[in-house]
Parts: sequence; structure tokens; C-alpha cells
Amino acid sequence: MPARSFQARLLYLLVAVLVALEAGTLIAVYVAGRRALERTVREELSTGARVFDHLLQMRARALSEQSRVLVGDYAFREAVATTDIDTVTSTLQNHGERVDANVVVLIDLDGTVLTDSIPKRMSGRQFPFPAMFRNAVERSGSDAATVTFNGRPYQFVIVPVLAPRPIAYVAVGFEIDRRVLADVGRVSALEASIGPRTPPADPDFTTFRHTLPTADGSKIEVLLRRSLVDARKPFAAMQLQIFILSAIVLGTAVLAAVLFARTVSHPLRVLAEGAGRIERGEYVEPIVVKREDELGHLATAFNSMQSAIAAREDQIMFQATHDALTGLPNRTLFLDRLTQGIAAAKRTGRVAGMVMMDVDRFKEINDTLGHHFGDQLLIEIGRRLTQTFPGGTVARLGGDEFAILFSDAKDVAGRVTAALNEPFVLGDVPIDVNASLGIASYPEHADDAGTLLRRADVAMYDAKKNQSGVAVYEPGRDEHSVRRLSLMMDLRQAIARDELELYFQPKVDVRTEAVLHAEALVRWNHAVHGVMRPDEFIPLAEQTGRIGLITKWVIRKAIAQCAAWRADGLDLTIAVNLSALDLFDAELPTLISGLLSEANLPADRLLLEITESAIMKDAAYAQKVLRDLKRRGMCLAIDDFGTGYSSLAHLKRLPVDELKIDKSFVLHLRERASDDYVIVRSTIELGHNMGLVVIAEGVETAESWSILKELGCDMAQGYFMSAPLPAGKFREWVRSRLR
Amino acid sequence: MVRFLLLLVLAPSLFAATITVRVRDARGRAVSDAVVYAEPEGRQLPLARRTAVMDQRNRQFKPGVLAVQVGTAVSFPNNDDVQHHVYSFSKAKKFQLPLYKGTPVNPEIFDQAGVVALGCNIHDQMSAFIVVVDTPYFAKTENGAATLDDLDAGRYTVKVWHADLGAEPRTVALKSGDSLSLTFDLGRANARP
Repeated sequence: MPARSFQARLLYLLVAVLVALEAGTLIAVYVAGRRALERTVREELSTGARVFDHLLQMRARALSEQSRVLVGDYAFREAVATTDIDTVTSTLQNHGERVDANVVVLIDLDGTVLTDSIPKRMSGRQFPFPAMFRNAVERSGSDAATVTFNGRPYQFVIVPVLAPRPIAYVAVGFEIDRRVLADVGRVSALEASIGPRTPPADPDFTTFRHTLPTADGSKIEVLLRRSLVDARKPFAAMQLQIFILSAIVLGTAVLAAVLFARTVSHPLRVLAEGAGRIERGEYVEPIVVKREDELGHLATAFNSMQSAIAAREDQIMFQATHDALTGLPNRTLFLDRLTQGIAAAKRTGRVAGMVMMDVDRFKEINDTLGHHFGDQLLIEIGRRLTQTFPGGTVARLGGDEFAILFSDAKDVAGRVTAALNEPFVLGDVPIDVNASLGIASYPEHADDAGTLLRRADVAMYDAKKNQSGVAVYEPGRDEHSVRRLSLMMDLRQAIARDELELYFQPKVDVRTEAVLHAEALVRWNHAVHGVMRPDEFIPLAEQTGRIGLITKWVIRKAIAQCAAWRADGLDLTIAVNLSALDLFDAELPTLISGLLSEANLPADRLLLEITESAIMKDAAYAQKVLRDLKRRGMCLAIDDFGTGYSSLAHLKRLPVDELKIDKSFVLHLRERASDDYVIVRSTIELGHNMGLVVIAEGVETAESWSILKELGCDMAQGYFMSAPLPAGKFREWVRSRLR
Repeated sequence: MVRFLLLLVLAPSLFAATITVRVRDARGRAVSDAVVYAEPEGRQLPLARRTAVMDQRNRQFKPGVLAVQVGTAVSFPNNDDVQHHVYSFSKAKKFQLPLYKGTPVNPEIFDQAGVVALGCNIHDQMSAFIVVVDTPYFAKTENGAATLDDLDAGRYTVKVWHADLGAEPRTVALKSGDSLSLTFDLGRANARP
């Protein structure tokens, strides 16, 4: 048991409290006992003194009576009255012995000693205690007193010899001897001593000097002493009893505390061990605490928790390795399987490969038909792939990306394509699904799962880019891919780091050569790769879904700049490019309107350029969005016109204001008989016929400029006039032209 | 009556002298139960064969003081229903009558002058004196007065005895027919008999 365990602490606390309590009691008992002892001993001593006096009085009375009886004896009286002095002397001795007297003295009526029992030592002299004698005579009776006789403490009794009138007096002396002192001891717990036999000072005794009243003025002190050892005995016994009782109580309490602590700490330990098992991930063994109290409930709760955790952990494990939507293995599990597959291939010398598959236009499907539909589609795709590769691993890596692990490369792509060939019918809507497949395999393309996955991904992008449907990884493509990946990472932070900057390129009226528009073009001042043009990172942004952020940033900045120039007296229409994906952002029109009114800029000062291909991706939807934008008063232009195979019928329905001829037709516009010339001319004519303003971009030479002028093109844009310029330089450029 | 007859017989005694004695204590109060007696000088008077009684009644001697002439036989009748043990340690008459009831057969003869202190050995409170005088002239005071009469002419020593008090004797000379008055003022006496 650790020293700081609950049980130990509970024990220590209990024992400490008890010991303190017991110690307090014992000290209190001891102090009280000591005081009581001192008081008792003092009282005993003063009582002892009174007892001693009383004993002497009693003794005196008894001695008086004895002496009276003695002198009342007829023979004694007869002897005293009638016989010779020697006989009387022996009578005194004889009768004195009867009463145990130490000395008997016969005194005549004058107070003169006639004779005595020791023998006749005092004859003829005055009785040594005349006061006593006078007392006795005057009272015609007796007297008793304490005196010093022969240097010893004595009690003397004087009684008359009656015949029947007093004829003489007899004084009987009794020494206050050991027996008398012993009597004191018998009636009290004291030791009494007199005279030279005083015991030496002893710390075990409390003493008291008691002076006896004497008749002869001598000083007789009785030393009374009380043995503290004896006096302490009952207290000591009581203290011992209390101590034993305390020890028993303490012991019992400790035992009870131990038992109690054990009843608490044992299940606690069981619970702690159970919790430890849960912590280690062992969920099988339940916690057993067979009790009905809180600890029992706690154990039950622990067990419920244990099974709940086990279930949840299973679920989490599944979720961690499987895709929630389709129930297919996820990227983690796929990488795991791929690693295993590569390992197996390494052993067997066979192939381990994977297909990376991305559903084309899935975002459009999702956005158009709804997420639920998209989800159902993904589930169905997963199901078909799983059917196609029974026993193989089909995983959903995320979004619309699937991966297939194969060990037999034979016609993998064909099987996948075949699986997707049948239209998907979800609800009543039949839908054709195309996918881009990237294939990479061990040992040809990579040695490890991570690299293999990445290279399959690269191949898939190639396929998508080439619109080839399938691509096998080509060595060397990796570099590009890595740069792309890092750019994707960087792009996320470009806005936050303020690495984007707007450049402006003027659109000039071909006839008046006035600057009418300025197209806002975004540059990325990349910390490593330097200034990057939009065509280098905009496709990346489109792929990673970041284009929306960039578009919004550009629009915000462009509007602000336009408003600033307007305030500065430069009234231009600002042109901004919208990505195909931007069209699907339902909130964008509202956002733009808000920004315009915030900047107090008329809506027609903003020209939105949308590529023909973007519009053609979903013409109906694009038409709807464009109408909305138009209704809000903005100007619209079709960018890169001539590359998107748009039909005239489509074009007619679009609410656009401008056509922008793709620069590929303009760049090499020299000879009047070339294809480009024909296309440009017909486009201009077409646009004018439809009532649209036609603009040519990519004008880099005076030659193309003059041809455009000749063909009646409305506006031109290109390096011939000006490269895209930062806002400040653009402003200067415009000023210089005005001059 | 007997006395009267004697007086008639002894006619010359009509001319005898009388002594009236008054006895007072130190404060002048009359003292009773004092024995007054006159001893003639130089003459021996005949023993009077007389008897006297020291009665014991109610555990007391009666009388407390009894004066007798030397030679008097005193009987000690016990009129109590308990026994008495009458004794005397006095030199004038040492005797004891061990436990008895009724009247002892033989009375005690007091043939020596002196004071005899009587006690009872079993009743300490019983006390009496028999004052034995060597003269026929004695009397006990009542209310402080006693009279000695029929004294012949001559010289006498008049003495007073009292249990607790005493006085110096006096000598008087009497002529026939004298009537003398004496007053004794008693002081503390030597109590020893």
C-alpha cells in the first residue's frame, strides 16, 4: 500500500485525532489527578493534625477514666491512706502497671510529691506541673494535659484520691509513644513522629508540623507526613485504568478504521485497476465490486463505461479506417493495404498497383442536383467498383476520389470504365458519369505506398488535364506535382500573407484611343517562386476550391481601386475575370452588389468577364447567373471567345454586353488572308450583328492594331498599348497619355 | 425528757456557765454543720457512755456531720434496699463495714478524738464526718449558732471544726453562771483531718 493512499491517510487522520483526544484526556486526568492529590494530601494532613489532637483528647479521657478506676480501688486508697511510704510506692508501681502508665506520682493536697513509681525520685519536691495540679484541686476533680516530662512528650492525668474527700492526688503519666503515633496511622493514612526520631526529608512525602497544646509551655511538635506514593496509588490506578481504556478505545478505533478504510479502499483499488485496464485498452474483464452502495454503483458505471468505450472504440476504429458515406476503406486503410500489397509483391516478385480515380464534373453534379444526390452517386460508384473488383480493395480517399488496389494490371482501366459505363439512375434522373484515372504501380513507378499514391494522383491529373480519361504515371512528372502541391499549400495563405497584388491593363477605344476599361489581373508575389501570373496558379486555385476566395479578393480590391480612381477624376470601367466555379457560387451576385453600393460605385462600372468554356459547362445555369448579374446592373463580357464551341443560339440568349476575342487569334494577326484574320473579322461582325461590343486582346503589334481598326473592332487590349501595371503606374500611364 | 430529768438531778449545774457560739464564713454568712466544742484545761472528764447513730438513707449518710464524745458507740443502720460498704481511712477511727444490709450487730466505738471521714466504697457520692471530741461540751451549729451549756467554771479551749473551713481555737475562762458569746469567722482551713 503506498504511504499516501487513501486508506493510509484515512488511518493516519483517524489515529491522529484519536491520539490527540486520548492524550488530551490523559493529560487532563493527570493534571486533575495531581491537583486533587495535592489538595487531598493537604486536607489529609490538616485533618491528621485534628485527628491527632482528637486522639490525644480521647486518650486523655480514657487515661483519666483508667486512672480514676485505679485510684478508686479500695485497696489502693487504703494503702495510700494508711500505710507506710514504701508500701504506697510499690502500690503506685503495681497499679501503674495495671493501666500501663509510665509514671505514677502521689501528691499531697499541698502539691508536694509524697512518692512516685520511679521510685521516689521526686519525693518531697513540688509536683513539676503546678498549673495542672491547681486545676485539679480547684475543680476538686481531675485534669489532663500534654507536657514534656524527662524530655519526652507525655500525657499526664491528675485524679484525686477520695476517702471520700480528696486525701491526695495521683498524677499518672503516659508517654506519647510509638503506639500512640501508630494509632494515628491506623485511623488515617498519615505517619506521625515526635521528637528526635523525625525522619529525614523525603520527596516522596508531604510533611506537616503540628504543635501540640501543652500545659507546661513546652513545645511539642508532631511531624505528620503523607506518603505521596501511597496517595498516588488510587490516582495511578485510575490513570492506568483510563490509559488502558484509552488504549483499548484507540485500538478498537484503529481496527474499525482499518476495516472501514479497507471496505472503502479495496473497491477503490479494484476500480482503479479496472480504470487502468480501460486505459490500456483492455475491455474484456469487467470490474467486480459486489456492493450495493455508491462504490457498487460506481463499479456498474465503470463497466457500462467500459463496454461503451469498447463499442465506441470499435466504431472509431472503423470510422478511422473507413469512409462514413460509402463504408469503403478510407485513405488510411488504403495506404495500409497498399503497403501490405507492395510488401507482398516484393516477396512474390509480382506487381502491386493502384488506380486513382476522380469523378469528372462531380462538383457540378453535386451543386446542381444537390448533395444528397451526389452522395447517392458516390455510394453507387463505390458499389459498382467493389463489384468489379471483388476481394480487392476499393477505397474512397475523399470527395469524389476513389482508389483501387490491384495486383493484376491487366485491363484495370477498362474494367473501371466499364463499371461506370452504364448510366446511373438515381431517382428518375439518368446520369452519365465519366472519370479520370491515374495509374501507378510497383515496382515500375514507386517502392512505397505514399509515393505510389502521389504518383497515381499525378497521373490522374494528367488524365484530367488531357481529358484522356486514363493516364499512367510518367516518370519526371513528380517534380511538377510537388511544386503544385506546395503551391496549393501556399495558396491557402497567400491572401492572409498579403502576397496577392492587382495589376491593371487598359482597354483602349480603337477609334478614339481613349482608355475606357481597365482589366484587373491578379499577381502572386510568391516568396520562393517570385511573381506568378494568373494562368500559373488560377487553375490550381480552381482545382483546390480556393478560386472563390481569390475572386472575391480581386473584386473587392478592384471595386475599391475603381472608386479611388473615380474620386481622383479617372472614370473607368473595371473588368474582373470570373472563374467557371464562381458562377456556381450563389452568394456572389449579392456580395458584388453589396461591395458596389458600399463603394458608392455605379454597377455598370464593373465588367465581369466569363470565359466561353465556363459558360458552356452548364449553359442553362450560367445563363441564369448571368441574368441575375445583369439585372443588378453589371456589365458582362464573354472572355476567350472562339475557343468554347458555343452555339449562336446559346450566345443569343446570354445577356452579355461584350465579346472578347481570344488572344490566340489576335497575337499573330498579320496577313489579311490568314485564318485568324477571317475568324477575327467574322467574330467582329457577329458581335456587332448581335449588338455587342467587340474587344480584342493580345494586341502586341502596330500591325494587328491597324488591322483591328480596319475591321471596326471596338476596343483593344495588349502589350502594344501597355502591359498590366500596378495601380500607381497605371494611373501615371493614363495621365501621360492624356498629355 | 431524759435530759430534763438529768438537769433536775444535777442541781448545782443550775449555776453552770453557758457559751453561745456564732459561726460565720468569710462573707459573714451563718455556717451550719460546724461542730463547736470546748475542751477544759487540765481536767479529765469522764467518758460518756453514749451511743449515736449514723443512718444511711437514700444513699446518703444522715447526718452529714455527727459530733460524738470519745468513747461513743455509733451504729450504722442501713435503711436502703441496697448494700453499703462503709469505711474510714481516718487515723481517729479506721474501720470498714463490708457490704451489709440492716444494722450491724456491733456498733463502732469511737475512742479516739479526731475527725473521721466516712465513705461508702460502692457509692462514691456518700460522704459524712464523725467529729470525735474529747469533751462532753460540743454542739453542731444550726443557722450559724450553737450553744454549749452546763459548763463548769474553769478555763476552756473553744474550737470550731468544719469540713472545709477552719478557725483558730480560743481560750476562755468561765465563772459559774457566766453566759458567754463567741463569734468565729471561718476562713480556709487546713482540710486535712
